[in-house]
Amino acid sequence: MAGPAYIADPPDAVRAVELDGLTALFHRPSGMTHILAAPAPQILAALAAKAGDAEAILARIGERFEIEAEDPAAAIAARLAELEAAGLVRRA
Amino acid sequence: MTMGDDVNEPGSEGFAPTRRVVLALGAAAASTVVTIRPALASTAGSVLNCEIPIPEPRSAGQYIDAAGNLVAPGTPGSFPPLGRPLKGEEVKKLLAGGPSPAGVDSQAAQAYANYIRRLQAGMSGFTCYASLQMPR
Repeated sequence: MAGPAYIADPPDAVRAVELDGLTALFHRPSGMTHILAAPAPQILAALAAKAGDAEAILARIGERFEIEAEDPAAAIAARLAELEAAGLVRRA
Repeated sequence: MTMGDDVNEPGSEGFAPTRRVVLALGAAAASTVVTIRPALASTAGSVLNCEIPIPEPRSAGQYIDAAGNLVAPGTPGSFPPLGRPLKGEEVKKLLAGGPSPAGVDSQAAQAYANYIRRLQAGMSGFTCYASLQMPR
């Protein structure tokens, strides 16, 4: 159920600025800027230089947030696919 | 991170709120990432025709390990350089989890995909990779 493990670059590889509920994130290795909505920044934080599958991500985020989702695993998988396509996470 | 020292909103500075807040994960179909188009963009046609050498010419001969790092030739678990540059169209499919490019086995293809994801500004193939990331 957990699916593949992913990892994101360490925190010093990105510069993030919170903007009224959205996060503008500059990814230094690619030179690209992205606008992220929750829970994407939280997933990146959970994976920063620390690989994890969907289950691990939910556990890490759950330490800080009350998670609200009908199907948490499916929602995380969808978010991971987006983040992978954007080049912000990669398979570990 | 250096920013956020004077900000106390939930979610700032490492995204760690001081109190537990509700985080909605969203529906599977919702989108949470928008990539801003940098000035590298070219037309869709030329993007798909651009090429990424693996590895870049100045690292010719080096092998690529599963994580996409350049390693000495013959390193166990690594893959030899690809004999031809990958076309933008092939890279796009590869990064999207599609089939491996013709003549490339799937493990090597994954290593090459990781190499491409690690390309940085100034490296051969970076502009092509960055252009492929552009939303249409």
